[in-house]
Order: sequence, then C-alpha cells, then structure tokens
Amino acid sequence: MLTRRAFMQSSTAAALATRLFAAPDGSTKPNPELEKLGAAALREGKKLKASYTDIRIIRYRQQFLTVRLNPERGTGKTLEVPVVSDGGSFGFGVRVIVDGAWGFSASPLVTQEEIARMIGEAVAVARANAAIRSKPLELAPVPVYRERWQTPHERDPFAVPLEEKLELIRKAAAEVKKEKGVFSANCNLSFRSEDKYFASSVGSSIQQLNLQTYGGVNATATDFKRGLSKSRRYQPQQVTAGYEYVPLMNLVENAERIRTEVIEHLNAPPVTPGKKDLVLMPSHLWLTIHESIGHSTELDRALGYEANFAGTSFLTTDKMGALRVGSDLMNIWGDRTTDRGLATTGFDDDGVKATKFPIIEKGIFKHYQTIRDQAHLIGEHESRGCCYADNWSSVPFQRMPNVWLEPGKSGTNIDDLISGVEDGILIDGDGSFSIDQQRYNFQFGGDAFWEIKHGKKQGMVSRVAYQSRTTDFWQSLDLIAGPSYWQQWGAPNDGKGEPEQINSVSHGCSPARFRQVNVIQTD
Amino acid sequence: MLTREQAQKITEKALSFSTFPECDISVNSSERAFIRFALNDVTTSGFTVEQSMSISSVRDGQSGSTHVDEFDDDSLREAVKRTESLAMIAPPNPERVPPLEKQKYPELENYAASTASARNQAMIPHIRAIMDGAKANNLMAAGFFERSAETAAIANKQGNFGYGRATDAGLSATIRNAAGTSSGWASQPAVLIESIDGAAVAKTAIDKCLRWKEPKRLDPGKYTVVLEPTATGDLVQMMGFGMQARGAEEGRSFLSKKGGGTLAGEKLFPEFITLRSDPFNKLYSSLPFAGGGGFGFGGGGGGGGLPAERMTWIENGVVKNLVYDRYFAAKAGKQPTPFPNRLVLEGGGKSLAELIAGVDRGLLVTRFWYIRVVNPQTMQVTGLTRDGVFLIEQGKVTAPVMNFRFNQSPVEMLKNTVAMGTPVRVRGGEGQGMIAPAIMVKDFSFTSISDAV
Repeated sequence: MLTRRAFMQSSTAAALATRLFAAPDGSTKPNPELEKLGAAALREGKKLKASYTDIRIIRYRQQFLTVRLNPERGTGKTLEVPVVSDGGSFGFGVRVIVDGAWGFSASPLVTQEEIARMIGEAVAVARANAAIRSKPLELAPVPVYRERWQTPHERDPFAVPLEEKLELIRKAAAEVKKEKGVFSANCNLSFRSEDKYFASSVGSSIQQLNLQTYGGVNATATDFKRGLSKSRRYQPQQVTAGYEYVPLMNLVENAERIRTEVIEHLNAPPVTPGKKDLVLMPSHLWLTIHESIGHSTELDRALGYEANFAGTSFLTTDKMGALRVGSDLMNIWGDRTTDRGLATTGFDDDGVKATKFPIIEKGIFKHYQTIRDQAHLIGEHESRGCCYADNWSSVPFQRMPNVWLEPGKSGTNIDDLISGVEDGILIDGDGSFSIDQQRYNFQFGGDAFWEIKHGKKQGMVSRVAYQSRTTDFWQSLDLIAGPSYWQQWGAPNDGKGEPEQINSVSHGCSPARFRQVNVIQTD
Repeated sequence: MLTREQAQKITEKALSFSTFPECDISVNSSERAFIRFALNDVTTSGFTVEQSMSISSVRDGQSGSTHVDEFDDDSLREAVKRTESLAMIAPPNPERVPPLEKQKYPELENYAASTASARNQAMIPHIRAIMDGAKANNLMAAGFFERSAETAAIANKQGNFGYGRATDAGLSATIRNAAGTSSGWASQPAVLIESIDGAAVAKTAIDKCLRWKEPKRLDPGKYTVVLEPTATGDLVQMMGFGMQARGAEEGRSFLSKKGGGTLAGEKLFPEFITLRSDPFNKLYSSLPFAGGGGFGFGGGGGGGGLPAERMTWIENGVVKNLVYDRYFAAKAGKQPTPFPNRLVLEGGGKSLAELIAGVDRGLLVTRFWYIRVVNPQTMQVTGLTRDGVFLIEQGKVTAPVMNFRFNQSPVEMLKNTVAMGTPVRVRGGEGQGMIAPAIMVKDFSFTSISDAV
C-alpha cells in the first residue's frame, strides 16, 4: 500500500528520472546519485541479514506512431487515422536471499526511504517462503563490475521530431493504398528505451541504456463476393539501434511491393497438402528457431521450473552433449553480443557480462541457457548471462538470449536452395505459430507462400501451414545459404513465467532448406 | 492503492493542467502477492505495487496520448503538456468520437478485503498441501498462487468520473512423475481467497497424473470429445475477439456474410447455445466501467468508459449482438457496446459423468495449450491437448491417450455441441478464462500426435 507520506515524497519523480539517467559525454561510470540509491538498498539488505541483495532502478520510454488508411463506413472515402503515443515508467525492484530463499518486491516510488521499506517487504517474503524451501539457493560466482554501457547508436530516436516520423509513415501507408484493390493499409514506427541501473551485494554497479527500434507496413485486401480477406506485411528487422536504422528499413519502397503482393495473395490458389520441401527465409525461420530450439534449450524448462506454465523440454539434462537434434549443418549459438540483436546488452539482470556460447554444434545439443542460481544444478561454475526481467516490477529469471543459426558456405545462394526442389514451398514472414509444452510438435503458418516446382519459384499459393516434430524437422535441414544472406528477425513479446513476462529476442539465420515436411491446407 | 478520494483528487489535479477542450484520464493502482513453486520447492515469490495513469488530450480532432506512473504535480503537469504537444503535431483523427458526457455507472463492486490483504502466509498452507500430496505419491509439484487487487478511476473534462475496485486470486498446479512420463493439472480462480482449496486442487491434479500413464497412441482424425470446463473456456474465450461488428462488416471475421454484411440475427448454433458477458456475476470481480484498466479484455478499446453492462452475444443459437465501439456505432446507427469481457457460456446441467456416459467412442480432454488463430475468417485455431487426454468407450473412460494437435474453429465446435454440463469459473494456461461448462462435441478435428507430456 502506498502511504500518503511516501506519496508526497516523490514530488519530483519525473525530474529525478531525467537527472539520474542523463549521460554526460564520455562518462564510463554509473551516475553517483544512482549509486547512492543502490547503496541504500544494499545497506538495508545487510541490516536485515540478507545473504544477497540486488536492486534495479529503471526508467522506460516508449513512443508509438501509427497511421491507418481505411474506407469510411457508408461513403467509402479513405480516412487517415493516426495514433500518437509517448509514455514512460519509472520504478525499482529489489531481490534478497534470506534463509536460502528468494524474496522480491517493487515500487514506483524511487526514494531512499521507499527502497529501504521494500527491502523489508522482500525480506518478509523470503522469510515466509523459507518455511517451505527444502534446499538453500546457490549462486554461481560473478566478477565485480563498475561500468556504463549503452546500445551503439547514432541518433536518439526520442530526439527525432515527430513530424519527420509521421511524414515517413503517412507516405508509406499512402503508397500501399495506391492499389485500388487494397482495402486498408497501415504503417507504424515505435521506439523503446530502457535506462537501467543495477547494484548488487557482490559489489557491482552497472548503468545501461538499451534502445529498440521497430517499424512495419501492412496491407489487407478483401473480396466481398468470394468472402475472402488476405493480408501481406512488410516487417523490417527489429533491432537494438537508434533512429539511424529507420532509413535502412526502406518502408516506402517495400510498401510498393506489398501492395502488389497482397492482391496476389488474395487470388492465390490454396496449397495442395502433402510432404513437400521447404525453403524458409530468415523473416520466417527465426520463429521456428525460437520456438523449437530457443525454448527447448532453456535450463529452467528442462529442470521443471516452467512445468506449470510454458512447459518443460524434450531436451532433458541427460541429453546434454549427446542428443542429435539436427543435421551436421546445424550450428546454433546463444549470444547476447550480436550486433543489433534484440537481446543484446552489456550485462544481464544478475550483473553477468553478456556472452556468446554454443547451443548446438554439428547437430548435437551442447549447452543450456543459464543464470546464476541454476548453473550448479548441471555442474557448471558460471552463468551464461541469460537473466532478465521485463519491468522494474518483475522478478528476474532465465530468459532467452539471441539464438542464431550459423550460415552455410560462402557462395551458396538462394537459387541453389530453390533449384534443388522438385515440389516445395518458399515461405516469407511469420504467421500463426503453436508448439507443444515440451517443444516436440509444432505448426507454423507464414505471411506469404510461393510454390516451387521443378527447381523454379512459381506463383503465390495460400492457406499454407506445416507441421513437424523438432528433431525430424532439423534433421531434414540439407542446405543453408551463405553468410551474405544472414539476417536476424525477432519479437518484443516472447512470453514465459508466472506472472507472465515478455522478452525481446532476435534469431539470425540465412535462408535454409528442409526436406519432406508435412504441409497442410488451413481454412 | 488509491481510494476514491485520492483518485478523484489526482484526476482533478491532472485535468487542472489541461488547456485543451478534451482530456481523458484513466488511473489504475494495483498490488499483487505471489508464490511460484516447482520440483516440490518454492522458486520465485514477490510483492509488488504499481500505479499508472493514461492521459489523452484532443483539440480539433488532433489527439496525443501518454502514460505515466508518477503522480506528483510536476509529473502530471509535464504529462498533460506532453499529450498536448503530441496532439498539435498529430494529424487530425477522422474517427475521433466526442468525449463521454457524464455517465451513470452501476453499483458494481465485488471486492474481497481478505484477498486484497493476503500475503504469503495465507498462501503457503495451500502450497504445502499440494507439495505434501505430491511427495506422498512420489510425484513432483509445480504451480502458482497469486492474489491481486486493483483500484481504477476514469475522468474527463466533461465532468465524467468513475471509480471501482476489484480483487482476484488463483491457484494452479501441475503434477508430474519423476520420470516425466505423466502429467496432471488443476486450477481454481476465485474472487475470495479463502474459497481456494489447495487440497482439492492437489487431489484433482494428482489423480490426473496417476491415471494418465503409458498413454495409447491413437490416429489423428475427427473425434467426439467431452471437454472439461477449462478446455471449453480455453477455446470459447477466443470468440470474444471475433465478435466485433467492424471486422464482420469489413469481411475479416467469422461473422462476415459472403457478398457483404454480417451474420447478426442469424441462427448459427443449436438452441441451447447462449454466450454472454456478465460483469455482475458474483464469480467475477469487475469494475463498473469498461476500459480504463481492469483485469481481462476490458483495457482500452473502443468501449472505454462505457458503463459495465450485461451483454448477450449469442442467445439460443442466434447471433444477438456484435461489438460496436463508439465510432463504429455512430456510423452504423447502433448503440455502442463494451468489449466482450467476463464471458459466460450457459450450460445444460449435465454432470461430467453423464456427458461421458453419452459417448460411444470419443476423447475426454482436460485442457488445451498454445492456442493461436490460423484463420480469423473462420476462427480456425490450432493448439494442443495437455495434462490428461483419455479414451471414452461405451460411456466409460477406458485408457489414457497421447496428446494431439488440433485445427478447429470454436465456432464450428459450438455448432457441433450436443450436450452441456454446469458452468464453473475456469482459467487455463492462456487468456483470462471465463465461466464455462463441460461440453460434448461431435467431429472435433485432431490433425497430428504430440509426444509431449
């Protein structure tokens, strides 16, 4: 309960957040005021006999702009409907270990007094839980850091005038609507920044700025006579970067493309179901990597911590280093250092430095994604830096790093993939997705589908989804395009945990070919 | 959390900074306490306090919005100013509706003080009951117990003001054997935390786990199914999103008519299918207005700020109402409606045993998982069975069965429903859940087998 007193004390919260996270040029150490607030948390934790304490003080900013073009009901006149929103959030979360159990609490009132009060709440939570805790927690060692890190960027997206952003998305949406058969179009840009300070009783003090940039263009075409409605989307790669990335999205140029493709999609014949070869573009394959490999190699799932919600994993700990998941071509990395990856950062929410590690080597499962309180459970001595909480009010736990597929040999191009297909489908963009709670059986749709016959790409088909079993699918991987085709797509909304949290993560890959996958015709 | 007086004061303060003719505010404060457990041990647990305010300012059709979670004068002044600056830059919104005049909100409060004040000590005995039950059977328990309380208010420059409080709690448990070859699940959502019964949740989940051993491999295909209430709710709750008039008129929904128009008024389902929204149902704790925060599907949306009301979407098999946001309602000459929230699928009064007894050969399904829309035009969704599928032969449950993936529209499912049980409040793994009965359905479409446990 927020007390009246606490309420009054926060009278300059917005100004405080701005001051705390301002980044003077050339500063390499955290803001001293933040360090003071962090020290208050650590002091209180020590006073209350916590064996470990940490605090995250975070300020988020989000800006969202969209323009939708659609016919007015009754007149058919095209209306341009804008949404402009810019908001933020500021608060802190604290973790303690007392009597071998975790306690957590969080509050939006960033004052020394409230921090001390919430440490007390977290200690009370931990003490209560210790009664049903069977074995004490163990944290893997971590070096002490006192650093400042930020997403490499050239142009702060929040400093770019709204007019410039609106002009771009209005132009792109209008470009889609130039085609008469397009019923509605929209274009959006959004930006998210996370200013985060972390201090722990290990001695670390870390200030970071994570910046994300998103955009997209959508087209919908409808044939009322036939009762059909289809869409086509241009989804640029989602990145950690500044506004300098926006021109690289080529929103207007791609708007021209999708206005043609949405009409083709509307008129595309339904797929003939059966076993077919698939050529999957990076804009599509990222999601299959995410669901089938990203989630199955999370240690908390494998151990049973997610059993009640997201599920467990077919990759149980006895399979580490032994099980063949895919063909020899399959090399997968866990990586929080990838250039522009959504999960790329300096340090995780345990204060562990971002790292890169092999998950699958030549088709064999090698390593899990881990955090500090899990490493010892599989006999490892350090965390792989995968701890993250989606808000200051959320409990940090194991979340996915960028998980990416190594490209094929230099010189292998998309035509090499297609020319080897007698009867297949090329899929671009992601669509519906579903996978079971142990990550065996999955079904994926897509955004657009082209038939491949006798080694040549043909016209578009519709109503396509494929079903497979993770290991069958990855063992059918027989060719990957070269490094020049490697691109990463991702999502800002990967769900896991109770209470459910979201995570932003990217999955790079080159186009890849999979043999004889079960293709179904959907409604 | 904010009292009515505090909420009034804060919203008045924010409105006092407004220089535009229109300013809409919604404010929400909440508290939650939770314990998560797995492997017969507590894992994470917390106590959190949150508050946020959404502000939207409009002048000459130009609109800007923001949200803040700092309520001091400076922050509110800055936030209102920001919305006005954004609005001055934004192009005019041709779909903007006039601000709500003063509304009369219903006396609607089902707020449990016991739930709002409960902390870990109140939850631990139930978790202990589940862990002890699991250990006694050599099984592993995982689960989640959470209680939450929220207060919310809406206000605008036209003098409209509404305030409400809501509480909720829920306990769910998954019981697995050590080898990972069997799994059972149960859950109990409740407004009153003292009505939650950890021992009963444990018994159901343990029983499911013990019975779902060495499942048979059956061919995918069309089966008669008996869906337990959670499984029914998992699918029927998806229909709420598809009830919008705009999507139907624009040819994008299962309620679109071929050639144009909607299927409103048509009898699509059997006589006994009635689907409503009922925020007044005592199994729910609801706010007196739609949108402006709140649990469930009510947040934001075109119905924001409208008084909460009972709505019938499907009555005796007939599509009775579609969802009209305020803009589309004005265009179509209809009354605006709140978003489908607090859903209730009425039942037929049969017991689960009676439904099973009526099946010659079919499957009993505990719940579904990872449900995603494949085609919004037919409402076809895909997903999987989870935590207990059993073969029914000649009216009796005879054997556990391996999990299936399905591709099935809940619309077709309700069309093919032949018998119904008694509705109860359910919440599965995804979505907010609803009040739903067990149902018996013909020709439910399973398309492949899953090895998952």
